[in-house]
Amino acid sequence: MDFALSEEQEMFRGYVRKYLDGAGQTKIAREFAKGNTDGFQAIWTGLADLGCTGITIPEANGGLGLGALDLVPVLEEMGQVLLPGSYLETVAFAVPLLEKYGTEAQKEKYLTEIAAGSRSMTLAWLEPQKGYNPEEISCSARVEGDSLVVDGVKVLVPGGEQADSYVVLVRTDEGLSLVIMDRTNDIEVNAQRCIDETLGLSELTFRQVHILQSQILGPVNQGWSVLQEGLLSLNAALTSVIVGGMEKVIDMSVEYVKIREQFGQPIGRFQALKHRIADMKMELETTRSLSHYANWALESGEADCEAAIYSARTFATEAYINVASHNIQNHGGIGFTEEIDCHLFLKRARFYESYLGSSQHYKEQAALALAW
Amino acid sequence: MDFSFTKKEEQFRQELRTWLEENLPEGWLAGNRELPEDEEEYSAFLRNWQKTLHEGGWAAIAWPKKYGGRDATLMEEIIYQQEMVRVKAPPLVNYVGIHMVAPTLMQIGTEEQKEEYINKILIGEEVWCQGYSEPNAGSDLAAIQTSAVKEGDKWIINGQKVWTSFGHLADRCFLLTRTSHKEKKHQGITVFLLDMKQPGVETLPIVQMDGKKEFNEVYLNDAVAYDADIVGEVDEGWKVTMALLMHERTGIGAQVFTLEQQFEDLVKLTKELHVNDQPLIKDPFVRQKMVDFYTRFRGSLLNYYRHLTKTLKDGHPGAEGSMDKLMVSELTKELFDYAVSVQGHQGVLWKKDALVDSYWQDNFLQSFGMTIGGGTSEILRNTIAERILGLPKDLGR
Repeated sequence: MDFALSEEQEMFRGYVRKYLDGAGQTKIAREFAKGNTDGFQAIWTGLADLGCTGITIPEANGGLGLGALDLVPVLEEMGQVLLPGSYLETVAFAVPLLEKYGTEAQKEKYLTEIAAGSRSMTLAWLEPQKGYNPEEISCSARVEGDSLVVDGVKVLVPGGEQADSYVVLVRTDEGLSLVIMDRTNDIEVNAQRCIDETLGLSELTFRQVHILQSQILGPVNQGWSVLQEGLLSLNAALTSVIVGGMEKVIDMSVEYVKIREQFGQPIGRFQALKHRIADMKMELETTRSLSHYANWALESGEADCEAAIYSARTFATEAYINVASHNIQNHGGIGFTEEIDCHLFLKRARFYESYLGSSQHYKEQAALALAW
Repeated sequence: MDFSFTKKEEQFRQELRTWLEENLPEGWLAGNRELPEDEEEYSAFLRNWQKTLHEGGWAAIAWPKKYGGRDATLMEEIIYQQEMVRVKAPPLVNYVGIHMVAPTLMQIGTEEQKEEYINKILIGEEVWCQGYSEPNAGSDLAAIQTSAVKEGDKWIINGQKVWTSFGHLADRCFLLTRTSHKEKKHQGITVFLLDMKQPGVETLPIVQMDGKKEFNEVYLNDAVAYDADIVGEVDEGWKVTMALLMHERTGIGAQVFTLEQQFEDLVKLTKELHVNDQPLIKDPFVRQKMVDFYTRFRGSLLNYYRHLTKTLKDGHPGAEGSMDKLMVSELTKELFDYAVSVQGHQGVLWKKDALVDSYWQDNFLQSFGMTIGGGTSEILRNTIAERILGLPKDLGR
């Protein structure tokens, strides 16, 4: 029995934390929200230099050749600072799918460039006014010679303006397929306003955009099942990002109630606050346990991997909103201001709960995985 | 990260499993697990079970070999609990003796005390109870008022204890008394090993809200003890009490594993019960709620394993045990509440009239004790906030 991250994993966390502390923690996200994205690009390069973008990429492609569990401490650190952009989608969606389904040419190009930090990728799945069902995809890719011609609109694409490539779910002749589309001037990218301004959500419009057929990722017409596989690792990783965010939120509450005095004493002495923060801590530790197990189950291919990941995701997203909400209340008036980070975490938590499926949707997925 | 058991641990599990199959009371594994209603028979049944355990070498596995234990590792203790829960083994009548009193005596008892008590605890000859709580000292345990006053070579003890499990069956009591009034109330407490079979000791059963009588009130009217019965030093009993708590190194493992089993039972229930010709588990609202329970029971189990890993590394349990207890007890309460709720209007039927099995109604009632006994949820939240998160203590403590 050893349910803990290894010393090496914790050591790697230390490097990442030191780097992000040096970069000003949530300052990166705040600048990003104001439209100053240059700093973010520099951070991405810095993280790549530390090895963060290539953790699970094979050494032959310039990565570290490690497993899903080695991503965990790094993702948790990203969650602590609300890192903008599409690190999550790059390392936990695009990379595992490229490794499993990528052609040699795709691996050579994309994995190598991701590991080197010169390429980020994101996921373009959802469409305007549409839900999560496969029937609702109307964005299409029509065969024309050795090309595909893509038409349609994708929305809610994280880090859409910064990403260098998109993994796009499109309708092909006999089903759905995933295609990799590199950012070119042919693709129209518009920012979408989101209550979480630190993410950079985009709407992508494709008007007769030509790509090579060799850009299909995985078997043609099997895009839906390939997407589900990608969602497993994406959701496992998402729980890690959430653990980091929750940890930061609880640190904020603990520090504040020790310092803030009312009625002649620190407010942390009052049980109304003390007990609420104890409950927040319980939610954090439970999320951490579920998240670590989910990532372990993914890496070691356990039989309960799907149930573990879906249930961890739904618990994590709900718990994050809870603790981020309580954190505002614990801070009182100042918690409601723009100046203090409380609201940034609440907004991110709100985003994740509905990101790529509501918690209700993932509860049903968990029930199905449990054969109920 | 590794959740597997070693080969040696698996062998240990198999050995215990085989022994249980051969030695559990007649019909137990088949589901005949009724305990005798009559107090005498009940007592005899449980003492007999402890004797059987002892004869098989399974009564006190964590004890050193020289006292008749197995020097079990922490993981072996965990496996032991898992297996006992799996077969729903009868309760251990001498739990207090085996898990608390004897290990404490081994650590700080006199040679005479070790000689006198440890073996009798092991073989089930003497059953122990714990004299801690009082009517005015519950969560605030250091507020005890039961007094012990030295007269000649005797200590004369007066006061009242409550919530004493197995008090009416016990031969001896690990008793907290006040021997002096000092500035701080946790000073001036002395622990006695009290003989329960004497005229100054009277026990009265407490009838619980579920009709059971698992606890007693203990009245001490000029009860007598001697210097030789003191554990540690006079007025230094608080330290002894704390030392005793540290011997529960598996924390609430048994309850975590029990919750796992209860959850599985609830899944079965929601598959068996039908509404509109459809199993309840197919109802979207029930499914969502059941996923909630699944996730939280898994979370509590995994938290427990994570804390266990820390205990293995540190060599002693930490304050994290309060998180385990808080979560498991609160969750158990919710789980049985829901189990009764899914039985609809007939959910209130009890005992022989229960819709499915009175197990659900009995446990629903029983669960309300879990968030009180062994540290209330409120005290646990204080512990988490103060000891784990470093928040300031309440005034007055």
